[in-house]
Amino acid sequence: MKNNSLKKSIWVFHLNTGSCNGCDIEILDALTPYFDVERFGIKLVASPRHADLVLLTGPITLKTLPMVINALRAVPRPRYVLAIGACAVGGGIWYDSYSVIGGVKEFKKILEEHNVEIDKIVFVPGCPARPEAIIYGVALLLGLVKEKVSKEVVVID
Amino acid sequence: MTLKKLLKPFKLLSIAKKAGVVTVLYPYQKPLITPEFRGKIVIDSTKCMGCGACANACPPNALLITESNEAVILNYFVGRCIFCGRCADVCPTGAISISNEFELATTNLDNLKTILVHRHRECVNCGRPFATGRMLEYVLRKVHMAKKYINECPDCRKNRFINIVSIRKR
Ligand code: SF4
Ligand code: SF4
Ligand code: SF4
Repeated sequence: MKNNSLKKSIWVFHLNTGSCNGCDIEILDALTPYFDVERFGIKLVASPRHADLVLLTGPITLKTLPMVINALRAVPRPRYVLAIGACAVGGGIWYDSYSVIGGVKEFKKILEEHNVEIDKIVFVPGCPARPEAIIYGVALLLGLVKEKVSKEVVVID
Repeated sequence: MTLKKLLKPFKLLSIAKKAGVVTVLYPYQKPLITPEFRGKIVIDSTKCMGCGACANACPPNALLITESNEAVILNYFVGRCIFCGRCADVCPTGAISISNEFELATTNLDNLKTILVHRHRECVNCGRPFATGRMLEYVLRKVHMAKKYINECPDCRKNRFINIVSIRKR
């Protein structure tokens, strides 16, 4: 079921969870004819019920949290999420602020409490993540490119 | 009027031909990166001494420094980095360089971590680990006369000084 949905055109829903608009502008950039993501069959839709992939930006503020949960619940399975920007990945500069959840990692626990499952999350760092980085993230989800980063541990005496 | 309507597609075609193809082929093509673009930072593990100046300057605490008895651990989490370059500005040894790497997408958050573990060097007198070897070398380069006591921990230095003074008094 999972593979089949990724073979077809994926429709995306843009979900702003309190971002500064930097990442949103970059998403719009990726949708322009210059980058033309319709090459991959990616299309922006107006309702989460039509979407395969949610483009999530922002650190998820407490104010938007209920709406974000509702929107994600409305997405049909398999659900994919692209966490775009430093905010969505790790909370960004607001990671320890009083009014935000602080990134998708903490958010996932809250989603589990509400019985909303997410099948795959792709993290796209950057502040803002440039349009190429967003396209790279989607291409990674589609299996067109390989992951480049890996964990590094160096011990120095 | 109807003739104008019929001719419209041809007019559009001529306009489109004038503009040419603007769409880039990324990811099947090299991205357009200007020299000013800042991406992920790279920490040179042969130069870093674990002083923590970068962690102090980092606005979102993407660089974190923690100290235990045995080691100083420098933790870089790219996922929170805003690519501001302040760390590269303040690093006293020039260990941090700003690369133009932005293709950092991953499905596992652990892949975004870089960890540098600096083991503490032990005091020659009491054997207590007290400072990273690189830091001691850095101090030696700046202050040559520190050679006599650089391998002792601050407590041993203090004790030695007190001993010397108390002997003089007698
Ligand atoms: S990652 Fe940076 S650009 Fe994107 S929403 Fe957060 S602060 Fe704004
Ligand atoms: S400022 Fe430079 S030398 Fe000091 S801990 Fe950071 S990278 Fe290492
Ligand atoms: S570039 Fe800025 S945000 Fe990133 S590690 Fe350096 S100081 Fe921190």
